[in-house]
Amino acid sequence: MNCIIIIEMGTAAVKVFAFDLSGNLISSAKGHYPTFHEQTDHSEQDPEQMFITMLYILKNLLIEKIYPKKYTVSCICFGSSMHSLLAVDKDGVPLGNAITWADNRGKKEAADLKASALGEEIYKATGTPIHPMSSLIKIAWMKNNEPEKFGLAKKFMPMKSYIIQQLTGACVIDYSIASATGLMNIHNLAWDQAALDFAGITPEELPALHPVFYSGVTLKKEYQRVLKLSPTVKILIGSSDGCLATLGAGVWGNNMATITIEDSGAFRIIGDRIIEDPKQQIFNYLLTEKHIITGGPTSNGGVIFNWFTKQFGDFPKAFDIDQSMEMLIQEAATVEVGSGGLIFLPFLHGERAPIWNPNARGCYFGVNIRHERKHFIRATIEGILFEMYSIGRTLEKHRHIEGLSINGNFASIPLCTQMIADIFNKPVSTLSHGDSIGRGAFLLSATEMGIYPSLEEASKTVAMHQTYYPKPENHQVYAQYFKVFESLITKVADEFDIISDLQQRYS
Amino acid sequence: MNQLILQQGLSKELAHFPHILEFAHKKNNTIQLNSFSSNVADCICLYYILEGKFTWIIDSQEHTLYPGDFAMVLPGQCIGGQSSIMNIGALFWIKISTEDNGRLLLGKWSGLTKKEKVSVNQILLINKEQHVLKLKEAHALMHSLQAELQNEEVGFYTRANQLLDELFVLISRQFIRQNNSRRDFPQTFLKLEHALRQDLAHQWTVEEMATLIGMGTTAFTEKAKNYSGFSPLNYLINIRIAEATKLLKRNEVNITDIALNTGFYSSQHFSTTFKKLTGYTPTEFRKNKTTDQ
Repeated sequence: MNCIIIIEMGTAAVKVFAFDLSGNLISSAKGHYPTFHEQTDHSEQDPEQMFITMLYILKNLLIEKIYPKKYTVSCICFGSSMHSLLAVDKDGVPLGNAITWADNRGKKEAADLKASALGEEIYKATGTPIHPMSSLIKIAWMKNNEPEKFGLAKKFMPMKSYIIQQLTGACVIDYSIASATGLMNIHNLAWDQAALDFAGITPEELPALHPVFYSGVTLKKEYQRVLKLSPTVKILIGSSDGCLATLGAGVWGNNMATITIEDSGAFRIIGDRIIEDPKQQIFNYLLTEKHIITGGPTSNGGVIFNWFTKQFGDFPKAFDIDQSMEMLIQEAATVEVGSGGLIFLPFLHGERAPIWNPNARGCYFGVNIRHERKHFIRATIEGILFEMYSIGRTLEKHRHIEGLSINGNFASIPLCTQMIADIFNKPVSTLSHGDSIGRGAFLLSATEMGIYPSLEEASKTVAMHQTYYPKPENHQVYAQYFKVFESLITKVADEFDIISDLQQRYS
Repeated sequence: MNQLILQQGLSKELAHFPHILEFAHKKNNTIQLNSFSSNVADCICLYYILEGKFTWIIDSQEHTLYPGDFAMVLPGQCIGGQSSIMNIGALFWIKISTEDNGRLLLGKWSGLTKKEKVSVNQILLINKEQHVLKLKEAHALMHSLQAELQNEEVGFYTRANQLLDELFVLISRQFIRQNNSRRDFPQTFLKLEHALRQDLAHQWTVEEMATLIGMGTTAFTEKAKNYSGFSPLNYLINIRIAEATKLLKRNEVNITDIALNTGFYSSQHFSTTFKKLTGYTPTEFRKNKTTDQ
């Protein structure tokens, strides 16, 4: 029997999935790697540790779970989080750690570029909003702030390219990951000259561009041997977490959109054309040259509720945050819709879409003497979801959306799913499979192998599990509170900059 | 006036306690120039504040200490009063010698087991930048210690050393409590990871890792497995191989040194473990670097 292996290099962990050719999950495993914050705004990971962790997990899964069941691996496909950047020297040796999407060191470079006409030109060409998350800004930062390292660097690549290079020797990048670097022209599918000039690099310093279906690389024989894989096993370079999650969410056509909320979150739609936004609030990433994933990301998803739980939750069992969160969710469910008029701006991590302001900060507004902890719990959840709603409304200016599919551990909490339905006033479906990125990568691989005629057909096989319908009376309440939420953000815009500046200066 | 300063070599009370270099219970009523100038400690110096407000510079960090505060300075660290003066107030201090050039903080006098000594050692070293703790429990303990040293009643030798052990255990536990909220496992695990990376050559046991973050071995193993996907020892091997990979690529350190620095028993052990996972021996890996086909 044949099987497909998916390797997903996520933000906090590598996940490896094994699917049979009908799409049944045979087994999966994860291995965690740490993120280091040596300075404020810095967020880094150790490339060798990520590679070794991936290899360890992959090898154990194959040898303990897959081979004993008599499966033969026919394809290995890669997924990964976006926007990471690693610089390597002439020998391919990393110059320090990889920088993750959450790193904000390039705040100044981003603000300057965004305020210029060049910024607008680059956004239009690359589809990536001008923000410190992008490789474009990170490379520009290195050029300005670490000239010595910048001089030694012979290649700049995302972590996924580094992992594939270790395994195969080839330095390649797929369209999905490339379209999120801020360096790829998504209209002509080549590295964008204006962006390269701004970053101060040439195309030779970047990996070779390939469609997500590219499979022209082979495993080094050492890895074939140690993983007991045949030389003919297909290595598919695959796509990004965001594009794969959208493919795996089954929202092709039918005016559907998908909401993912894990630690961070995103609102995404899939279409056959690039949507240009004069306000530069949304991204356009390529699943393929004909299939564009358009949407907006938030940095403040489940991670904010996690923060709240750590600060204010009860911990009957040491370190058992899941239990503590469950207890808080139960408490929140007893509070009326709208949390008694307590409104929360969830920008603890600054914010990306739609305001794209790294200086944004959190705020509880409207507190009165009758508010208790339970109101704060519910307000925190509603604030996170209101933010998702403002991203959704930005997209709705460009596309009519009738229904939503959700995934991610925060959005899938039943209380949250119902709130999403009520806030958006649209039916919201959960998926019958657990991991949309893994599912999306399976559908991509299976399509490449000819099991499905097209990605669209593959996406149609995604089954919805349960649909939550909106309660109009709740939507009515949310709609009024949302107006306050939205206007608050505009009104405290100046104070965001002032407080963030003071915080930087005095703490 | 219950003021007391005992010094090794001068005070007969310390004759039985060669490891106690100084014990003082001091009331400072006047400010004198150069009464506490900055110097580098060559022993463990512990201070407990009874009255007043003391502003000290410890390892170039300024700390203000109030009653109930406890300060710890380890060999090699620097302490002195702000403007080199000792403020007005009352305090206890005790200075204790270390063994093995400062590597072994608790010497032969200690009644802790070998494992416990290793753990206390690790906890103090990892938290050595913190310097100041809230440790009210030390109050009664320092008084008892003073009484034992002065009165020499039956059993005083054992009792005094037990009190010292108790003090070190208290300090270690307080470090763990202050630094681990018992809410945030990822944060705690990251701290552990830092500690492991600081001393990869050490033959870490699961028990030591668990103790370091204040958990029982069983609960820690389960939590670590759940969170990281690895058993604690496998997670450690992972870090070792990753670190070794980095050193191999850099081409500066020879393979035997890499093996020992990253915690493998020998270059043979390193070679076998490395090849089992990567398919390369360290020598082959170094030759091939990364970009070959």
